[in-house]
Amino acid sequence: MSSSVLICDDSNLARKQVLRSLPEQWQVDIKTASNGREALTLLRDNSVDVLFLDLTMPDIDGVGVLQGIQKLNLDTAVFVISADIQPEMQNKVMLLGAKAFLRKPVNAEVLTSNLQQHGYI
Amino acid sequence: MSAFNLNEDQQDCLQELINVAMGQASDQLARYLDTFVDLRVPSIEQVDASSLSITLNDKTLASAIVSQGFFGYEGIRGEALLVYQSQDSLQIADLLGYEPGELSEEEQLIDISSILTTTFLNVFASQIDNQMSYSAPRLLSASQNPLVEHVENLLFHWDLALKVKITYRVTDFSFNCDMILLIPESAISNIKSVLDRILEEF
Repeated sequence: MSSSVLICDDSNLARKQVLRSLPEQWQVDIKTASNGREALTLLRDNSVDVLFLDLTMPDIDGVGVLQGIQKLNLDTAVFVISADIQPEMQNKVMLLGAKAFLRKPVNAEVLTSNLQQHGYI
Repeated sequence: MSAFNLNEDQQDCLQELINVAMGQASDQLARYLDTFVDLRVPSIEQVDASSLSITLNDKTLASAIVSQGFFGYEGIRGEALLVYQSQDSLQIADLLGYEPGELSEEEQLIDISSILTTTFLNVFASQIDNQMSYSAPRLLSASQNPLVEHVENLLFHWDLALKVKITYRVTDFSFNCDMILLIPESAISNIKSVLDRILEEF
């Protein structure tokens, strides 16, 4: 049974960086979103197991997506991947239910160990 | 002008490199001031010298600017301008928690600008396997229209520049600072080849 994964980032390059950092052995069905609004629509209409989420985005940002996920009462696991590494921001997203905070540019080993730690691979 | 325009992929790549650099610069600023910096998506646009003066002109009234040149390998160079509104520069002493008379307002502005500029550009450079050196920061204080004159001097040899505008908003103190990176035409083509090299990997 493969996992359903959504990558949300306004940067095409950043989405590719995440895509390329996913563990090879992980059976996944991948969707992408280029902004928070698109992500929330996809999350509402599909069952998404794991979301890789950027924070600094136009329109609805990553914090907005986390709040939306809480409002919709979804059990999607969120891994935040952001350049905004301020401790206050890291605390904020963890309080909003993110599983982990990973700093950009994303590193394949760090991503894999986080997925292992939370039992996704 | 079109020959120097970044294509969509190059623009996206540059934006992401800038995001990462901006994030770390903001983190340094937040730690230095013991506060939180609100980040927005930076704007990148290509401008010609005359329209740049006009764009900058809007917000130059009674503001202070700290200007610092940067030079990397492979012909990557430019000028970083940190632009403060007058009400912002008054907030700086409070923000930094300096004792009265310890450092002049000018020195404080230079301090904070230097942290932002060098952190930002060092992180930017490390992502493209480059390394920056810097000229000494210069403060253009709040006399009449210093920015326009200064930019006009800078742009004397530049017809075109890439303008990257990043706004650092310190929410607790209602303090804003715009970082404007001016990158001359010759350096833009060098940056484009670096961006293409990164894009090739994907």
